[in-house]
Amino acid sequence: MPLGSVLLAFVVDGLLVGVTGGNPFAAYGALLCGGFGFICTQGENPVLQISNTIVFVIPLITTGVAVALPFRAGLFNIGAEGQLLAGAIACTAIGIKFSSLPSPILLPMVLIGGMVAGALWAGVAGVLKATIGAHEVVTTIMMNYVAQWFLRYLIVGGPLQLAPGTSKSSPIGAGARLATVLPNDNTLIIFGLPSSVYRVHTGLLIALAAAAIFAFLLWRTSLGYEIRAVGQSQKAARYAGVSVRRTIIVTMLIAGAFSGLAGATEIAGVDHNLTDKYFSDSTGFDAIAVALLGLGSGVGIVLAAILFGALHAGGSVMQADANISGNLVFILQALILFSIAANFVGAIRQRIPGLARPPTALPPEMPPAAPMMTEAAVPPVES
Amino acid sequence: MSDSQAIAVDMRGITKQFPGVLANNQVDFSVTRGEIHALVGENGAGKSTLMNVLYGLVHPDSGEILINGKMVHIGGPRDAIGLGIGMVHQHFMLIPVFSVGENIMLGREPVTGPDFFDRARARAAIAELTKAYGLALDPDARMGDLPVGLQQRAEIVKVLYRGAEILVLDEPTGVLTPQESKELFGVLRDLVKADKTIIFISHKLKEVLEISDRITVMRRGKVVGHLITKDTNEEAIATLMVGRAVLLRVDKAPAKAGEVALKVDNLTANSDQSVPALKGASFELRYGEILGIAGVEGNGQSELMEVIAGTRRASGGQVLLAGRDITTMDANTERDAGVAFIPEDRRGTGLVLGFSIAENSILGRERAPSFSWRHFVLNLIAIRNWALRLVKEFDIRTPSIDVAVRNLSGGNQQKVIVAREIGSNPKVLLAAQPTRGVDIGAIEFIHRQIIKERDNGAAVLLVSAELDEVRSLSDRIAVMYEGKIVSIEPPDAPEERLGLLMTGGGTRAGAA
Repeated sequence: MPLGSVLLAFVVDGLLVGVTGGNPFAAYGALLCGGFGFICTQGENPVLQISNTIVFVIPLITTGVAVALPFRAGLFNIGAEGQLLAGAIACTAIGIKFSSLPSPILLPMVLIGGMVAGALWAGVAGVLKATIGAHEVVTTIMMNYVAQWFLRYLIVGGPLQLAPGTSKSSPIGAGARLATVLPNDNTLIIFGLPSSVYRVHTGLLIALAAAAIFAFLLWRTSLGYEIRAVGQSQKAARYAGVSVRRTIIVTMLIAGAFSGLAGATEIAGVDHNLTDKYFSDSTGFDAIAVALLGLGSGVGIVLAAILFGALHAGGSVMQADANISGNLVFILQALILFSIAANFVGAIRQRIPGLARPPTALPPEMPPAAPMMTEAAVPPVES
Repeated sequence: MSDSQAIAVDMRGITKQFPGVLANNQVDFSVTRGEIHALVGENGAGKSTLMNVLYGLVHPDSGEILINGKMVHIGGPRDAIGLGIGMVHQHFMLIPVFSVGENIMLGREPVTGPDFFDRARARAAIAELTKAYGLALDPDARMGDLPVGLQQRAEIVKVLYRGAEILVLDEPTGVLTPQESKELFGVLRDLVKADKTIIFISHKLKEVLEISDRITVMRRGKVVGHLITKDTNEEAIATLMVGRAVLLRVDKAPAKAGEVALKVDNLTANSDQSVPALKGASFELRYGEILGIAGVEGNGQSELMEVIAGTRRASGGQVLLAGRDITTMDANTERDAGVAFIPEDRRGTGLVLGFSIAENSILGRERAPSFSWRHFVLNLIAIRNWALRLVKEFDIRTPSIDVAVRNLSGGNQQKVIVAREIGSNPKVLLAAQPTRGVDIGAIEFIHRQIIKERDNGAAVLLVSAELDEVRSLSDRIAVMYEGKIVSIEPPDAPEERLGLLMTGGGTRAGAA
């Protein structure tokens, strides 16, 4: 089903390109080149393209997990972006403050610091949901704004601003940085380019570990069982003795920790300081698409993150090579989501005889409105 | 029977295939005008499908329908209503905040001027109908304030108002007290005298024998018997329904009641709507006995069970388990203390429908040492073995333990819950509506399991809306009315007396 939705989105997007006077084949060719390094016609370095894609993929996996886990508990975490920023801020602050510490101490500190910050950021929404029932969609969105504007305050005139007139922080200490996969050396030439241009970093391992932990947690632990039980039927979970409130709070804390980790690896692995790039970062929102497309499974999330990472990386190549606006990539992303949400593929399948899968549910024994009405219609019996 | 022997409904060779199940297989079904014709069969036998075909909700793959001798095509309920067919659903289609009159008129309101509801004409029309059939109803009463029996009466009047000559009643007594059922039967007899035809769907064989003229029995989508009521009996019908001889009476040895297991003292609690539902219930339950709670639904039975099980907070009073106060314990602690709970709403609260049988078999015990390492990592092998054992011991019919319980039949779903709860060897078993909506075969099995549990020394507290079930299983019967236990009766107390107590009559008689 998700594969069909992706294909459908590509077809529609291709039509859009064609109608607006572009060449869809050239566009997708450039996209393939930019995303995966295939069939590059303008002399792009395929390895560099793959490296760029992976850099995008890393935070998408971790934040994808941060959306998918609450989703299993029936919670919609729209706040992965805010949690990511909280993690990035904490990572930067710690990385600057203790910049003289050696890597074996400082690196765990900044990563854990980012996780704690993200967990607290998401925990606010979890606690509010569990205690007063505030809807997590609303609270996490609001927490996004708080994080974004707090970040802006910090590096534009605030305590983390590097120098007046800039909009970035000073860099974190060397010990707080994640190593790149290839040596960070301008003189070493690998695949025809200085090896320092390949930004792919060891955060990849952290992201893959996050996906694995997610899968293990969900399917192999009592907590994961409870998360899934709460997500499917709060009532049944409650009757069985599962504390729904506790599960909601714990789920949001873990999700926030994943998002915060994504923010920390971005700082520690890519940027090394807070910059205005984070004002318009959308990783945490793309994560929603990744989680939905990945069907909430560890492997699925990784695959979906690769797709979206490749789209991001490919967008600029498409603009440069095929002379088609990179913004079409965002349309494509939106179309994929749209197509999943509306289940067009399923609907088309139903319409075509022979392809139609039998409906999974038996026809209702009574009109669907009936149960709702009966619940209201049967009052306490008085005689 | 009326003088005319015309065939009102004649369905011939009706076949309807749903994915994976042949719901109706060459079904022939005919009803004589002016008779009460019972349609019986287990869940999934195809009764509802057949009636939905008649009412136009389902379109058959093949077969023909004749109404009053004329071949008809029924494309939808509108066609059915036009042909004089009316359906009284098991779950009422009423709007509680509307008046009785408004409910009856709904969709066919008499209007004056452009579009003004003509209250006077509506009232006159209802008065005429209620008078003609002896169905006393106040058209101005708010529907939600009426007892269930009168709501059902309003449903019948609604159908008559739309000109129904053939009435289909789907499990009409399911929600009624014995007295209300009697009144309903009186109404049905009057309707037949007025030359109406009635199709009566039920699984309560006693009622079927009491009210019907003829019986059609279905099993697995086929008609397996056409019976004349006065020439048959309960056992014969049950055997046809199930396809094998069924033990209708519950066989059990006398109880060997031991120490007091559960002492409930002046317990009070609120309902979901935050109004007092339990108003000072007190009783004792002993090891090795089954105490059945009889009562009209909504008199605090559900709340009582939930408070004892720890899923609802008590507002006052005490629950003692072998002398230990468990009033404020949560469900988890109570389960550890040996209290097992079969909740009444199996799909809503007893099971996580999307979970597999294996997953559901540990619901609430996912952190128990037998199923998890350090209360955290699930022991999948232990869980599989446990689920396999339950499936075998409790005869859960399923291709595998990995099937989502959503895909099981109602009876098998209930068996999963019963297996999980009884399988943990509880000291006290709380069974709320343990056989609601379950096939006869599965009912028999579940009853035997509950009795076995009692014989093993467990204390069983049973709540059931089926008075017959309470009477046949219980060693003592506690009658509940308006949140209190009004009387403890022996299991052979006459049905009439229980019925009176259930509606508050007995206490009044005792007080006078």
